[in-house]
Amino acid sequence: MTIQELIDKIGLKPLNRFGDRVVEGVYISDMVSDVMAGAKSGDLWLTIQTHKSIIPAANLVDVSAIIITGGKEVPAETIDFATKYDIPILASSLPTFGLVGRLYELGVRAKQ
Amino acid sequence: MPECQHHWRMANIQFGFIVFEKCFQCSGVRTYFSREGIQILGDEYREGDHFWHRVENAQTFHFDLECTRCGALEPFDDLMGLFYCTGCLEECRLEILRRNLEAQRTHLVLACGFLHESQAEPRQLAVEKLEKLTGYFNQRRDASRSRIAILPFDLDTGFSGCKGEFLHDVGMLSQEPVTSRNSPF
Repeated sequence: MTIQELIDKIGLKPLNRFGDRVVEGVYISDMVSDVMAGAKSGDLWLTIQTHKSIIPAANLVDVSAIIITGGKEVPAETIDFATKYDIPILASSLPTFGLVGRLYELGVRAKQ
Repeated sequence: MPECQHHWRMANIQFGFIVFEKCFQCSGVRTYFSREGIQILGDEYREGDHFWHRVENAQTFHFDLECTRCGALEPFDDLMGLFYCTGCLEECRLEILRRNLEAQRTHLVLACGFLHESQAEPRQLAVEKLEKLTGYFNQRRDASRSRIAILPFDLDTGFSGCKGEFLHDVGMLSQEPVTSRNSPF
């Protein structure tokens, strides 16, 4: 499944322009250090963390996209950074648990 | 016997804190990794001629790299953290390097060693180690899209003047959102 397909099926809101990419797994964490230690290349990163440091961390571990859950407002600085690093950043009004349910229904699984 | 073409994975991951301390007497700053569960900002204690005051905690992790083919282990216990350039000064050497690398679809990440009280700058990590770390992050990503270059933090203008940021978790123990971070230096 690609990021664009997820946007269309779940109603995610893209916050920047991005090149489409295949989603290979999911990682959920609100800590940059945890993502750097545990996320895999191609993972979709679900978080409520909106500080701009999430972008270079996402880039370092090569996540496919970041989804900010729970309707949290994302600072313009973070969105600018995402564009600069070519990291898709999306927003969802669903809480993380609700979004995980939708992703699971669509067949998206954590990468082993 | 042919030399191993290492394939790295992270091993011995330990979560903890980078503690930043400042001395009232000499104004020296030092940093170290701690696995203590509770970090108390403002904690003060005397050690010889120094009077240390804890000024910042940042949640982070330590790791080693292990080759999945030959079992070689490269420890990174001397890595305080990875640091990214925010492009604060257009003429800064790091910003120029960052722009040059970006034109080659390569993202610059800087590696910092720990800061000791007698030093003005963090310790440098060996370039050979950083090549292994660079190799680890590049072999696990889709390198046809972009690559990572991890270089030693080396800035003529000094560490305290740099507005780049560590890839640490600052303020994660607080309910208040983190909007900006001040350098503890």
